[in-house]
Amino acid sequence: MAAKIHGFKPYRVAALFHARRVVRKGAKAASRLMPKKAKSSNLIFWLVILFLFAPLFVLLLYSFNQSRSGEWTGFSFVWYQKLFLESPDLWRAFQNSVIIAFTSALMATALGTLAAVGTARYSFKLKSYVSTMSFIPMILPEIVVGVSLLVFFAGVGLKLGMLTVWIAHTTFNIPFVYLLVSARLEESDPSVVEAAMDLGATELQILFRVVIPMALPGIASAFLTAVTLSLEDFVITFFVSGPGATTLPLYIYSMIRFGVSPVVNALSAVMIAGTVLLVYPLRNFLKVFAAR
Amino acid sequence: MNKILRAVKSALFIMVFIIPGLFLTGCTKKEEASNKLYIFNWTYYTPDSVIEKFEKEYGIDVVYDSFASNEEMFAKLKAGGANYDLCFPSGDYVSIMIKEGMLAKIDKSALKNFGNIDPGVLAKSDFDPGNEYSVPYYMGAAGVAVNKTKVSSYDRSWSIFCKKDLAGKMIMLDDMREVLGDALKYLGYSVNSASEAEINAARDLIDKEWKPNLLKFDAEAFAKNFAAGEVWVAQGYAESIYAEMDPSRWNEVDFFIPVEGGPSYIDSMVILKDSKNSKAALSFIDFIHRPEIYAEFCDAFGFPATANVPARSLKKGPQYYSAESLEPCELKKDVGADLEKYNAAWQQIKIGK
Amino acid sequence: MKRNLGPAYVAPQALWITVFFAAPLLIIVAYSFLQKGLYGGVEPVFSIQAWVDMANPTLLKVTLKTLWVSLAATIVIILLALPCGYSIARSKNQALRLFLVIVPFWTNFLVRIYAWISILGNEGFVNQALRFLGFRAEGFQFLYNQGAVVFVLVYMYLPYAILPLFSTIDKFDFTLLEAARDLGATRMQSYTKVMIPNIKGGVITAVLFTFIPIFGAYAVPLLIGGKDSYMLGNVIADQLTKTRNWPLASAISMSMTLLTAIAVFLFAFKKPKEQQTVKDIDPLSQPNGKTIEFLHRSPEQGKKKPSGKGAA
Repeated sequence: MAAKIHGFKPYRVAALFHARRVVRKGAKAASRLMPKKAKSSNLIFWLVILFLFAPLFVLLLYSFNQSRSGEWTGFSFVWYQKLFLESPDLWRAFQNSVIIAFTSALMATALGTLAAVGTARYSFKLKSYVSTMSFIPMILPEIVVGVSLLVFFAGVGLKLGMLTVWIAHTTFNIPFVYLLVSARLEESDPSVVEAAMDLGATELQILFRVVIPMALPGIASAFLTAVTLSLEDFVITFFVSGPGATTLPLYIYSMIRFGVSPVVNALSAVMIAGTVLLVYPLRNFLKVFAAR
Repeated sequence: MNKILRAVKSALFIMVFIIPGLFLTGCTKKEEASNKLYIFNWTYYTPDSVIEKFEKEYGIDVVYDSFASNEEMFAKLKAGGANYDLCFPSGDYVSIMIKEGMLAKIDKSALKNFGNIDPGVLAKSDFDPGNEYSVPYYMGAAGVAVNKTKVSSYDRSWSIFCKKDLAGKMIMLDDMREVLGDALKYLGYSVNSASEAEINAARDLIDKEWKPNLLKFDAEAFAKNFAAGEVWVAQGYAESIYAEMDPSRWNEVDFFIPVEGGPSYIDSMVILKDSKNSKAALSFIDFIHRPEIYAEFCDAFGFPATANVPARSLKKGPQYYSAESLEPCELKKDVGADLEKYNAAWQQIKIGK
Repeated sequence: MKRNLGPAYVAPQALWITVFFAAPLLIIVAYSFLQKGLYGGVEPVFSIQAWVDMANPTLLKVTLKTLWVSLAATIVIILLALPCGYSIARSKNQALRLFLVIVPFWTNFLVRIYAWISILGNEGFVNQALRFLGFRAEGFQFLYNQGAVVFVLVYMYLPYAILPLFSTIDKFDFTLLEAARDLGATRMQSYTKVMIPNIKGGVITAVLFTFIPIFGAYAVPLLIGGKDSYMLGNVIADQLTKTRNWPLASAISMSMTLLTAIAVFLFAFKKPKEQQTVKDIDPLSQPNGKTIEFLHRSPEQGKKKPSGKGAA
């Protein structure tokens, strides 16, 4: 069970298995060939990592800068103080973001999990419609999703606000949940379900005691992915948000476009730290995530 | 094990039914609460200090969302953002919004301070004769801000955008009526021109003479770019320019309305038809036209008190352009179906090259 | 033997997707054939004006420019991502390296754009450093041009390519490289002739995951671009929020959707199967037509192997 929760085992197994095979096949050849090869690609990898992290470090540095402009005038915590104590609007936006992220991720996880279970265990008429339609929102450019939803909401006369943002976020989260949970279910052994059925378990018992526990790692990483995507989204939210529904990315956008305060540096630093803290313990999920 | 399963089961139940349910009822409840006033206004147009005073005095929580152009504001409202209470469109859009039936009538008898408003401004607001739907907030015009420490010799004219030596160091608003209006005025036409030939001449002037020298068109970040030294010349609103700069640097800025004039506007306060809190909106309108409040608002941006007469004597701070310099300007009006010509010209300017 | 509960399971999601995704797309299709309203919205009159406008040379130019930018950024991204994916796959500490790629990837989109503004801006890190070193005081204009847009797009979407490339390369049997070398291939040949064909699936996924979002980019050209950096995404937004030409915005969105769909179906759905969505888009299950089938076997199957059990 524990190994399963990590959702990681097949790869670890595979990696080990692979390593043994390599050794068997000719350790000498491999050791002659590999370090050489890896050198240039390793160099590129570390340069890319430098490229990816450099901007984040610059933000971190600036968040401690006393001055308002880019000039370094001294070390200071003043922007953190402003961020935590004097930015009620920002925290209101953060609160909106968190509410939207969790509720939309929950809704998407519920819908996506059920649908994934349905398509994994049964075959029926509309199956290909469901699976195709469920993944198109994922690859469509965000702006198209945003525009179509805005036009739709205007068409049905739904006022823009928290509700429309929630609907939009749930919609773009569903494909990710559906794919991640489906992938997980595909890996699991169908004979377990058959055994449960032979033992006379009801459909609900099978769902809650067999299928969902088996898919739990997938469901968890799907939920997490959905929360992240929702917290992250700017473009779609930009179109469908209305009065009182400013999310954190929208607020950050306005801070970048106008506004004097380097509070945004401090906020960025906090968010980067948050990401690190969130991702590090979850690094065992990373491959599952990478595989989405 | 059983415990885990039960937990999963109840979590799923909560997911599917309770949370969305709570969430939805929460949303509708929020709308019913009437101590919130949703304002949709230009970026930096009402100082925070004024809003805080209003909130304190009336016990109303103000939610302030901002827009950078009339078009943007109108599109958002049209697409279903209409549960704002109070909005600040320019005159031309007031008449459009009246025509589209988006506004509620204003009960002027409830406005004690309506008498403070400059009769000249009221007379000019022919987009809403008799001010049935709108109350003037401010009459002004976009001008040009020049960073004096970087640019020494220039004419106070739109011709500054022809200066090749400032190429890449100038910026204009992403606002078609404003920029095309400037060019029309510079060529000696009306800012409300309906003639295709005139509009096309303005378009060509911008496209061939001005745009090559511009960094970009941006109605949101122009002031921030100006403050950061990214550009030295910015066409835009004084309030944004001064709000972005530290007061210690205000003397670096020369803000002027070019001698040819340009489009001017009477930004007006309107109450939207679907407003749930029109009473609070009405109080806000009245609050703004209190002389001392209006003076505070103008002082925050170095404005002349164009719309409020008694506030003029209460103003303390310096003023960065005069009401007189607005004289060569011409009020923007709704041009009706001729707007298409402006749209076409603007599209060509923005994505032409 | 048992009731088919499939439809009951998928009904909620199918309903949701139909109402909030398929219906809006259909509305967009319909709107693109209607007449524009003067003040936004549409008039219920049939018109192909929007599609005629689409053929307008200025719009075609923007489309070409958008394609060019997306292509340039995608090529740079793939060229950088390939060695990165390779390096992660061959590393002993894969989890750490993935962690390093994912942290910037999970950092807020706008924060990352803002980071580049504060590095490359006039008062940014680079200009401050140059000033400190005695270069000209007014600074260099790095931002607000086409080059900056491509640069930042590469930054934003690089992780999208590294992750799928890593997971396919990870499944590649590296002993094949040795075999190729033993048979007389040069090192470069062993990569291009043996490895690339084997990881084609991952490359396609990576291209789709970068090219498509870049093609629809909105925020990066808006925040980083200059007067000539408008991309199709910006045109759509402008038509909707400024010029109020909803039919044209709909027509452009529609074309974008079609283009995306065509790209995906051409590359990813060569052999449409029942489970196509999961199978072909999920890079983990990309068929790479080679030996290492065991690498993405189910854990249950793995369990049956003694070596699998030992590892767990």
